[in-house]
Formats: sequence, C-alpha cells, structure tokens
Amino acid sequence: MGVKGLNQLIKEHSPGAFKEFQLKNLFGRKVAIDASMCLYQFLIAVRQSDGQQLTNESGETTSHLSGMFYRTIRMVENNIKPVYVFDGKPPVLKGGELEKRLLKREEAQKQIDSIKDTGTVAEVMKFEKRLVRVSREQNDEAKKLLELMGIPYVNAPCEAEAQCAELARTGKVFAAASEDMDTLCYEPPYLLRHLTFAEARKMPINQITYSEAIAGLEMTKPQFIDMCILLGCDYCETIKGVGPVTAYKLIKEHGSLEKIIEHINSNPTSKYKVPENWPYDEARQLFMDPEVTKGEEVTLKWKEPDVEGLIQYMVREKGFSEDRIRSGAEKLKKGLKTGVQGRLDGFFSVVAKPGAKAGDKKGDKKRGSDSKASNNKKKRK
Amino acid sequence: MLEGKFDESTLLKKIVDAIKDCVKLCNFNCTEHGITVQAVDDSRVLLVSLLVGQTAFSEYRCDRDITLGIDLDSFSKIIKCGNNEDYLTLLAEDSPDAVMTIFEDKKKERVSEYSLKLMNIDSEFLKIDDMEYDTVINMPSTEFAKIVRDLKNMSESLNIIVTKDSVKFTSEGESGSGSVVLKPYTDMDKPEESVTVHLDQPVDLTFGLKYLNDIIKATSLSGTITIKLADKTPALFEYKLDVGGYLRFYLAPKFDEDE
Repeated sequence: MGVKGLNQLIKEHSPGAFKEFQLKNLFGRKVAIDASMCLYQFLIAVRQSDGQQLTNESGETTSHLSGMFYRTIRMVENNIKPVYVFDGKPPVLKGGELEKRLLKREEAQKQIDSIKDTGTVAEVMKFEKRLVRVSREQNDEAKKLLELMGIPYVNAPCEAEAQCAELARTGKVFAAASEDMDTLCYEPPYLLRHLTFAEARKMPINQITYSEAIAGLEMTKPQFIDMCILLGCDYCETIKGVGPVTAYKLIKEHGSLEKIIEHINSNPTSKYKVPENWPYDEARQLFMDPEVTKGEEVTLKWKEPDVEGLIQYMVREKGFSEDRIRSGAEKLKKGLKTGVQGRLDGFFSVVAKPGAKAGDKKGDKKRGSDSKASNNKKKRK
Repeated sequence: MLEGKFDESTLLKKIVDAIKDCVKLCNFNCTEHGITVQAVDDSRVLLVSLLVGQTAFSEYRCDRDITLGIDLDSFSKIIKCGNNEDYLTLLAEDSPDAVMTIFEDKKKERVSEYSLKLMNIDSEFLKIDDMEYDTVINMPSTEFAKIVRDLKNMSESLNIIVTKDSVKFTSEGESGSGSVVLKPYTDMDKPEESVTVHLDQPVDLTFGLKYLNDIIKATSLSGTITIKLADKTPALFEYKLDVGGYLRFYLAPKFDEDE
C-alpha cells in the first residue's frame, strides 16, 4: 500500500520527473487503470450526504458502479481512452500483508461494536470505512458494467499494477494509472495519479516519468526496487528505523540489499536490525519479473455502448436514474466518435535551453522545486 | 541593458492580448535584433512564435541577451494602463528582477511607470525546421476570423479542404453543419482583400476550433493572414507585423484514429 516517502525522494532528486496538469490535457491518450484500487476508492468515497454508501432498493451497494460509470465518462468526455485492469490471484508473499489488512478490519469491527452506542456518527463512520473491501461480486459487477459501456478491461494473472505497467511498457497504452507508488517498480514509462478522483476535489493529475525519476536518483532498476523494498512494499517487512532518507543513503552507499545486510550484520554496533528470514530477494523477483499477460497478447477495443443493456442493468437492476444513464451513454458515444487531437511533440524537436542563462537563477530553481505548487512558477523576489 | 521604445503602446497591447489566452507564462528573449517569444500551450497542441523586429521600435537598444520571464496576465493589466497613443518604453537591467514599463503622453507631460516582477520560467525550446507545405493560402485576416467564429457555433472541429480552385471550411455538429467556400480572388485596389491559393497538393485537415479561436485573437495585428498546410503536419498561421516581425501559430491537426 504505497511506498512510504518515495514521492518525496523523487521530488527532491528528480523534480523534472513530476508534472501536474488538468485531466483535459491527457486527451487522446490511452491509459491502463488499476481497477481494484479505484473500486476501493469508490466504495470509500462515493457516498450520500449522510455518509452512507449508495444502494439500490434491495439494499445492495452501488457506490462502486456509480463511481465507475461517471468517472469513466468524465475521462471519455476528455477524449481519454481508459482500460481497466483487475487483480488476479495475489502472490504468495502478499499473504502477510493481506493478513494484516484482515486483522485491521477485524479491529475496526471491534471498535464499531464498542462505540456503537456511545460514539458519534462520525466516529462510527470512520471505522466503518476501514471495513471496506471490494468483494468478488462487486468486481464482477464492475466488469459487467464496463462491458456494457464498451470499455475494455484486462484480467491480470496476478497484480493489477504490474499488468498496467506491462501494457504501458509495450506501448498498448500511454501510462499506468494507480495511486500506488509501488507501480513504479514495474517500470511503466509514465505513472498517473489522481486520475479517478472526483472532479469536485479539483486535484490535478500527477504524472511521474519513470526514466527521469530514476535518472535523477542515479539508480539502476534493481537499486530502485531495492530502495522501494526498504521503504516498505506489500511483500515483506522493512528494516526498523530506516526511513526514506536513510534508505536512499544506504542504497547509494552500498548499491544493493545484499551489501546493506552484509554491512549491518558485520557491524555489531549498527542500530539497525535485519528481519529474520527476510524474503527481500523474492520480493525483488516479483518486481523484476512479475506474472503478467504479455502486452502483445492483449487486444484493446473501445466499442459503442450497449444503451439498452445499460438501461436494463443500471436502471432496472441497480436503481439508477434512467435519464442520467441515457445521457451518460450519449457522452460515451460522442467521445468515441470525435477525432483525436494531435500534439506538436514529434514534429518539433526539443532543444535544451542554453545552460548559461539558467546559471544566475540556480538558487531560485532549487527553491522552486520544493514548493508545493509547481516547480517552475516561482516568483523572484 | 534593454531599452525599447514603441511609438505607440497599442502594438504591444495587441500582441499580448493575442497570446495571453493560450499561454500564461512565457520568456521574452531580447537580443540586439529585437524581441522573440516562443511558447507552447499546456496541452502541447499550439505553439506561439513571436518576433518583434528592431524596426518595430522607434528606439531600440539591447547590448546583451536578456530573458524576461513574464506572467502575461499581470503584464496585460499593466499595458492596459497606457493610452493607445502613448509612447511605451520597456526597460530592464542585464540580469533583471523586474521589467519597467513607461508610458509617456505625447502632448501632456505625463509619465507613468510600472514595474513587473519577473519569473523564472523553465521552458524548453522547440526547434522548428523549415517545412515544405502542400498549400499556402493568403487571405484577409478578418475573413478568416469570421469563418472561425461562425463555424465554431456548429461543432468543435473545423475541416479545411483545399483543392485546385477552392478552399472549403466545414464544421459538422450534432445540431447541423455549416461550410464556407472561398475561391481565389484578386482585388487590384485593395490587395489586402485578395485571396490567393498556392497549391502543390490538395489537403484535407481538421483542427480544433477551440485553438483556432485563440489564434484569431491576433487578427488586429495584421490585415492578412497566411495559412500554410501540409498533410498530417502542424499548420502554420502567420500574421505579419507591418513594422517588422511576425506572430506565428503552429497548430497540430486532429487525426481520425485508424486502429
């Protein structure tokens, strides 16, 4: 669930790898979206004003369908072609992490039970959100909806992020979209974040360019993965006390996890302790050589939506408003038809700005890069 | 040190108004030959290339190359402070933190001064090679602006088809469609009213009207517009400045997806 501090490290060492822009700037791009991740988001975030999940008449949750439907349409309206990737079976190593999550959920349930009578609604809600998980049925419902919408999806043999990255790497799509920074370990050319966030949040899209990130960190792919393992991944524990800064330093100094372990073990005074039976090598293998369906074997096709099918499913079975579903289907049709706007890139070659000119502004550049807004808009004093 | 004096402030006002809707921040590169700007809009579809030649100034001096990183929104507010006929002078040090804009009334002894803080804008420079175009159209800039404005009501895309004896602009939308056909036309008395078409090969291209609508904001800069088109290539829209220089727009076309 997210590599701790990786974001910061990349921002610090390779500010150029980060780009922020509005959704509309992605027009004409195909993107592979980690479906499991965004269904989870929808279940958490798509709620009624009283904080309850959306449901149909018979009480089945429909938050995930609502999120999937409307946010996909928003992308299509912006001329983006999404393809969703669903998780397959989790790798064995993820067992530990999954167990932890299960425990957390049980813990949350206990909390709810204990405060049900005394706690405020907000408190109960907080724990209730921790109970959320995407069921197999909800996954299947989402797939059915996508099929009716004419949006392609891919069933990953294993981790969805890895499959997203594979599709991006083989040029099937432009970028992988996930909130999970882990995804970078699978070497997608571009990673997009905040793609499926609600429009109302006004969150700009974050684009991370893998090649620039890794160049700025001055690391090889294995080193980068090793660093991510140190920062914390889903597959194994971390070394206690090693945070982002130390992790970066250790990798820079020693070059690999093997060397770091050797260094720590040969140094009895070291304050770090390597976990026993640490499966870091297996974790690394999962990142280096993930189980994916090869990009060449995947065909993606965006089709006209099946309007009647959508009405039957979304309106009759799931209780959505017919008008909204119809107008949504119209937007899908329209988005499919309009030609793709080309970009200037590829026609004109980029010439690096003469470095001398930037020289006297170096100080500013540095400050600019850690400001939150944008790294090139710093007012000079 | 940069010192550039315009005989009338309106020229700079028109230039800034013409580009400030497609690019917000841009570097004004000042050299001994004049001022150039190159900027790409956020979506990387439209490129603006400006040259204000030395001759456009009544007095011009720039000993060393200077880059002025300017926020066009703020700059345009400053420029609006001057009257159209005022002299306008741009002043900047060699490595400036700010640029001064000075307006002088020609009759009264009124002088107003504004200083704009500069920004450090990281922009890459695109190299634009001389391209071979299939078609070159010259026409009155107001005519082109009207076509774009009218057809924008119909849809989001403008299709331009140039054949041997005509130029056809078409826009097809949900509610209907519209088209304008132009034929070469020579006006002996008013040459700027003429329409000329040089055709090596017929072209059929589609552009986003949203971007064309930004381009026609430059209409007041020149009586005529030159449009250069080639298949699957960014089109060039050029407004020449009478006093020396140009404002060019390069616009990437739309494609039908062929997969």
